[in-house]
Amino acid sequence: MTYDTLDVHRNGPVGWLIFDRPDQANAMNATMLQELERAWVELDQDPAVRVIVNTGNGRAFQTGLDVRQLARDPGALREQSRRTRDAALRLTAWHNQVWKPVIAAVNGVCAGGGLHFVADADIVIAAPEATFLDPHVSIGQVSAYETIALVKKSPMEAITRLALVGRHERINATRARALGIVSEVVDSADSLHSRAQEIAETIAQHPPEQLAATKRALWGALETAELQ
Amino acid sequence: MKYSHLDHLVVERRGPVGWLINNRPDQLNAMNAAMRDEFAIAWKELDADPDVRVIVHTGEGRAFQTGVDMSEVAGDGVGMERYRDSVAHFDLHFTSWHQQVWKPVITAVNGICCGGGFHWVADADIVIAASDAQFFDPHVSVGQVVAIEAIGLMKKMPVEAVMRMAFMGRYERVHAARAYELGMISEIVDPPGALRERAQELAETIARNSPAAMAATKRALWGALELGLTDACKAGAQELVGMWGHPDQEEGPRAFAEKRDANWLPPDASAP
Repeated sequence: MTYDTLDVHRNGPVGWLIFDRPDQANAMNATMLQELERAWVELDQDPAVRVIVNTGNGRAFQTGLDVRQLARDPGALREQSRRTRDAALRLTAWHNQVWKPVIAAVNGVCAGGGLHFVADADIVIAAPEATFLDPHVSIGQVSAYETIALVKKSPMEAITRLALVGRHERINATRARALGIVSEVVDSADSLHSRAQEIAETIAQHPPEQLAATKRALWGALETAELQ
Repeated sequence: MKYSHLDHLVVERRGPVGWLINNRPDQLNAMNAAMRDEFAIAWKELDADPDVRVIVHTGEGRAFQTGVDMSEVAGDGVGMERYRDSVAHFDLHFTSWHQQVWKPVITAVNGICCGGGFHWVADADIVIAASDAQFFDPHVSVGQVVAIEAIGLMKKMPVEAVMRMAFMGRYERVHAARAYELGMISEIVDPPGALRERAQELAETIARNSPAAMAATKRALWGALELGLTDACKAGAQELVGMWGHPDQEEGPRAFAEKRDANWLPPDASAP
């Protein structure tokens, strides 16, 4: 399958899903919104792919919806609005119910909707220049899905601060690691891909069924705590 | 807006920032029954003031807050019984969370924060602290149970640290540096005397964002502590959709493109 806005390929047992609109800071336009769903499903269904790495080409990791492009594409905007309203997004591995391990390798700025891919990954590593910010409230938008998931996974105060301070402040890679939002900051951006491949290959040695069952069990812990 | 006169709290506005200052410094800001009632009024008045965009809560003197005033409890024969009904029915009104304040709330911890003082750490959106701030929970050391404020903290930070404070009681303190490591606070202010200046600056920065979008975001994020992930996202989706068509969603991108501060609609005290 071919993609215009993503680079999807295999390297041994590892499937790579790379945001590939570097000139637009990898913002999601209508095409990428469609291609993301297709790419997650393709990698999930390929039995040769045991672990998936998600990263970005260029200086940014992911900066959320390309609002300018979507404003010119009312049909796509309407569809994305419907999915937002109905809680039926298909951007991330979690949205697409991918039960293979997913590693987000944050290569640069991760802003706004880009946080979906950090929140919904199993493992997150970062380049030293990676930064995290959530400008939604600075442009009159609400922050919800991605920061809700981050609240469930990280110390909450850091996330409420990120969401309420908007574009005026960032969390850097060092602080993100201290908070446990990411588990590893590589020495330099040049080694991000090789380190992600290495971690993915290590995980790929484990039996896929047990990995999937473990992933379902652990993400289940974030769901309702109601006693059965 | 003119605020009610209160005996144990200072309530005032500096620019877009509402200040709530614990003001019983000689009792380390311990909360007596009168102060407990005044909190309910102060939060509601700051929430209702359309000129207040962000609220900062701090303390006068060498303590931020030290919880229920034990000398009052021990002194008049009524003891903790005076609070039985409100606690048993979880009918509390002394934090912004209890009072459903959806404006951003920054707690600025000066000095000692202990016992019931944790209510305002647990229930704030953002917590910063002076470099000499100290945290401990002496409840079990004076024969009391700790529950509500520690439960709030456990939902927001590593659980082990909270359990340890609950069981170590008055015999161990967590210092500002460790609180920062744990993600209980996001910033240490040094020297301690600069705390209020920094809190005002941070609050003014946040006040540049859309009040309506911040209120909806705050509801969505606190909902994450109530519900499972999927249900919290569904509730969050309603907050997202609720902002669609709001004038701030036009004004935000326009102001950004024109490189100016946005003219947001004032906070709506009648919002859900």
